[in-house]
Amino acid sequence: MIIDFHAHPGYGKDIATLREEFPPAARAAERCGVRWICLNAIADWSESPNPKAVREGNDAVLSLMASYPDRVLGFCYVNPRYPAQALKEIDRCVVGEGMAGIKLWVACKASDRRVDAIARRAAQLGVPILQHAWYVRRGGLRGESVPADVAAMAKRHPRTMIVMAHLTGAGERGLRDIAPYPNLHVDISGGEPEAGMVELAVKLLGAERVLFGTDTPIRSYGATLGKVLEADLTGGERELILFGNARRLLRRRLGR
Amino acid sequence: MTRIDASAFLGRWPFRPIEGTVAGLTRMMRANDISHTLVSPFEGLFYADPEPANEELLRQIARRRNPSRRPAGKLWAAPILNLRIADWREQVKALARNPQVRAVLVAPTFHGYEVSACGEAARVAASHGLALMVQVRLEDERHHSPILDLPAASVKEIVSVAASVPKARIVISAARLVEVLQVAPRASRLGNLWFGISHFDGLECIQRACQAVGAKRLLFSTSWPFFYAKSGVLKVEEAEVAVPWRGAVFGDNARRAFALK
Repeated sequence: MIIDFHAHPGYGKDIATLREEFPPAARAAERCGVRWICLNAIADWSESPNPKAVREGNDAVLSLMASYPDRVLGFCYVNPRYPAQALKEIDRCVVGEGMAGIKLWVACKASDRRVDAIARRAAQLGVPILQHAWYVRRGGLRGESVPADVAAMAKRHPRTMIVMAHLTGAGERGLRDIAPYPNLHVDISGGEPEAGMVELAVKLLGAERVLFGTDTPIRSYGATLGKVLEADLTGGERELILFGNARRLLRRRLGR
Repeated sequence: MTRIDASAFLGRWPFRPIEGTVAGLTRMMRANDISHTLVSPFEGLFYADPEPANEELLRQIARRRNPSRRPAGKLWAAPILNLRIADWREQVKALARNPQVRAVLVAPTFHGYEVSACGEAARVAASHGLALMVQVRLEDERHHSPILDLPAASVKEIVSVAASVPKARIVISAARLVEVLQVAPRASRLGNLWFGISHFDGLECIQRACQAVGAKRLLFSTSWPFFYAKSGVLKVEEAEVAVPWRGAVFGDNARRAFALK
């Protein structure tokens, strides 16, 4: 069994398009032995979407959860710049509809105080937060977190389970930033399949803090799975990365 | 199904602790059932004159061919040329005498010249029976060191070079899928042009590339040890394409591109 902790239904901005785009991803996941796909729709892919766009994106995920009940786990995307609406959306999607986690992208940095209420609510509900981060050497978005921002969030919220997205984007420096915080994990999604990165993550964090994720449709299942299958790991470490760690973080939804 | 890796490297990459050794490459080929690999020296991208790096590459390949310790799989060389070195034509001529050399690789942005200069290199390589590989990039541009903040070579311009030298065999290495899609209408009409898939990514990347330029134009390639080789293998294996297409991408096309027996 494999759990893809980080996937998007497609590039579309509305439910109809996203529903149309998702089936090829579901087929690719099945061919690669992926049992569960954790889906989040980042609203309209704008950096700071308004609450209406946020709801529409989450509605698309809810719709796919209904269509693929044995394949899709929903993650509720929220924008911390709208704190009250974010908490309300978490209650609607996680408490009300059974989504398995919360997704934060680039609306504001993870170290921003506006994230605190969301992190506290995640801890109360026992669901993980998937937080984008990248050490971009050039360019980068205004509200884009670097791993040090995610480390600051994890330090302030030790009871919140946090998964920092994009191992390759974090690099060695990012891994060292987050290493002191045991509630903080990394997923291997996104970025190119740069050799040695998975082994480095296991060395610096331990295999129990590294999760398989693809960032599909931006990345492919094959390329991402290859990172884990070729990395110099024990069978036990590989199992933790491919599903054991995700199952532990998703125990509220998947059971023990 | 024969697997031929159209691009791997030996040597050290200076910006991350990765090193390609013959022993490591052999293990990688065995683990991934790869029968042949076209290999270039990392150092050739960084030395002002790549010749010493090419010499070392050829020494390592020759040593590996010693029958007493010959491992599984076969290595072909794709030495690197710097077209700003005055005697590069003589280098091609000398390299072509070595039966292990099937191609020469140029990297315009690494060595600081225009892609259009590759036209003459393609003509000279073709006159000696060699393919010309053009390296678009290696590293994700977001991760470049400040002293290697290079743009990617223009895939559109490389396609123009291929169109202008129809007798040459040209392989574009490390292009991204989006770059291939942009040139697909023209590229799909050229019988002398191939794309390595090492830097293709995204859902259905191989299917989309097959549909855009045709399965005959794609070459399985890993960019090992820069990338995990298994990522390249699984991209092709997971593709929802006809089995003959998969065979073409894994090996049949490379036989034509590099004139392998």
